[in-house]
Amino acid sequence: MNGGIVLNWLASTPDFAVPYALAALGLIICERAGVLALGAEGLMLVGALAGIGAQIVIGQPAVSLVLAMLAASVVSVLFAVMVIWLRVNQVIAGLALVFFCQGLTALVGSMAEWTNHATEGIGAMGLWPLSLLPGVGKLFEQNAMVWLTPPIFGAVAWFFARTSAGLRLRAVGENPQAADAAGIRVTAWRFAAVLAGSALVGLAGAYISVVSTKLWIAGMTGGRGWIAVGLVIFARWSPWKALAGALLFGCIEALIPQLAAAGVQLPQYFVMMTPYAVTLGVMVWVALSRRGADEEPGALGQPYVREERR
Amino acid sequence: MADASLMADMAVPSSTSSTPPKASSAVAHEAPRNAQPVQPLARRRYALEIRQHMPWRWQALILAAALLAGFAISAAILIAAGVPADELANEFVMQTFFDGQNFRAVLFQAAPMILVGLAGCVAFRARFWNLGLEGQMIWGAIGATAVSMWQIGPENLRLPLMFIAAICCGLLWVLGPAWLKLKLGVNEIISTLMLNYMAANFLLHLVYGSWKDPKDNFPYSPQFRLFERLPELGAGIGSSILLAGVVALLAWWLASVSRMGLYLRFVDANPRVAHASGVPVRRTIYGAVLLSGAMAGLAGFAVAAGQEGRLTQAFYQGYGFSGILIAFLARNNPLAATVVALLVAALFVTGRSLQVFYQVPFSMVQLIQAVIVVCVASSDFFIRHRLRRVGGEAVQ
Repeated sequence: MNGGIVLNWLASTPDFAVPYALAALGLIICERAGVLALGAEGLMLVGALAGIGAQIVIGQPAVSLVLAMLAASVVSVLFAVMVIWLRVNQVIAGLALVFFCQGLTALVGSMAEWTNHATEGIGAMGLWPLSLLPGVGKLFEQNAMVWLTPPIFGAVAWFFARTSAGLRLRAVGENPQAADAAGIRVTAWRFAAVLAGSALVGLAGAYISVVSTKLWIAGMTGGRGWIAVGLVIFARWSPWKALAGALLFGCIEALIPQLAAAGVQLPQYFVMMTPYAVTLGVMVWVALSRRGADEEPGALGQPYVREERR
Repeated sequence: MADASLMADMAVPSSTSSTPPKASSAVAHEAPRNAQPVQPLARRRYALEIRQHMPWRWQALILAAALLAGFAISAAILIAAGVPADELANEFVMQTFFDGQNFRAVLFQAAPMILVGLAGCVAFRARFWNLGLEGQMIWGAIGATAVSMWQIGPENLRLPLMFIAAICCGLLWVLGPAWLKLKLGVNEIISTLMLNYMAANFLLHLVYGSWKDPKDNFPYSPQFRLFERLPELGAGIGSSILLAGVVALLAWWLASVSRMGLYLRFVDANPRVAHASGVPVRRTIYGAVLLSGAMAGLAGFAVAAGQEGRLTQAFYQGYGFSGILIAFLARNNPLAATVVALLVAALFVTGRSLQVFYQVPFSMVQLIQAVIVVCVASSDFFIRHRLRRVGGEAVQ
């Protein structure tokens, strides 16, 4: 493998990593508040469809991305009502959300005839002056969303670590009984966390459709939402580790087309298995190393029922 | 503490945030509540209570109301998608159940549906979220097809061998996640789902690659020979439905009569207490999960040898969620699962005819299933809780 391929590979990595990163970050916000968010796969599809729909109708990428976030938030209200108010089992509710969104997006996409309708994405933006460097300058030619992702991560990490609101949110996920006794409104915080987290997951989906592929195909997220759920466990609910994990997955996914372009003969479908196999691998690795087992939010997956004695 | 003071913040939005929780404030709330019996409607407050028990008639009524709500929402979606409102009842009820040919189509469709539903029931009884039903189904079909492709065994033993191969392959595909869960504590939701995607890609590798039918350009394996297909019982009804029925009875026996069923109830109620009282918890969970994989593998066999007569590229789609939905709606009861599976099969058949006659995309079927799950899951709230009126003035 020569230098050009490595450079191409690294340059295309962020494009693959951003959806994982944003989806994992959204999930971390939900799960830090104690809501087990299995619906990421579905919400990414909603974001992807809403983004491409807005792109076809309006044609402004920035507007499309914002509308996609809104759409995912609106759909997640259904999930939030189910798990927070109606105290439905969070696994059942998350699965139902995924399948609801899969059905809904496939239906809307084909009835609105948005399938395979190519749109204009957003162009690359050089990070001056690094993009002027000879050779490696290519690495710094990325689209605006790539440059926006680290600041979003920084903001969320700062929110969790340095603000009292972040502390409240974590308290709600760690021990809702104690948070409630301290006067924190568990229901309201969890609702807000689900809506905000879902917006980021929707943005991740919209990134895939609006920025990466620039078209919509039913079920186009292809399990990335589930991989993000695994990524959050891998990252032990820490934003920066999630970003690192997303880069790892981005590297692996970006390698596939580069190898194909270099003429390396590999069985295609085995290559397509790698992201899933790697996810399984890191889950096993996390379980084996047993590090940071106490970083899991204490009340993750448990509905908070004030009337119930524990 | 008196139960009247146990309020949910849902019903009483500002009960906690305004005042610091002092012991005296709770007492202060109690007093005026009984003193003011009459209040204006807008000021009435309600408290949420856990209901210990509900007569089964009321439970049935709530379930029926939830199903009705689900059907109403589905009907609204169908009408919005362009199905004429007056045709709905005709399409769904008359055409599906009272037309001989369509009813046979439902039974034809029901066999794998019952099997995946049972697979879901058995795994969920052991508190194992086996979301890998599709992957195990794919492997079951691959196993059966391998026996046919490589012509293993004499002709009259071929079908039983395919049956055994399907069971073994489905079982082996779930062995990994079961071991990872019990040995290392790896989340089975993620691991089984990842294995689904891997199995689906492996299936594509086979049907686009070495197992592709040389006679055609389509991605499927060569047609099974006649003795490799599940025979018809007569009147157009295949023997796969009989197979599904037998497995359903076995599953019922296992869950309700056998010792393992009792152990499963122990494990479901409380694994630690079960372990302390001498129940072989791990062996019970392994048994249930492997059985679940075997049943899902059989579903793959039922599709390959009973319906398609070959290995096709997307035969499994929709079964994974249907299996989970069937087990959930049937409360993990195998006999109820059989009935629910028949209804889901009817929904599939109707969905196909809607696709043909009204150009409604088949994803509608998935949407309707999800809507019904959401409604039924939500209705549980009203079985487990009740709203009770409490004093309104006292709260602030």
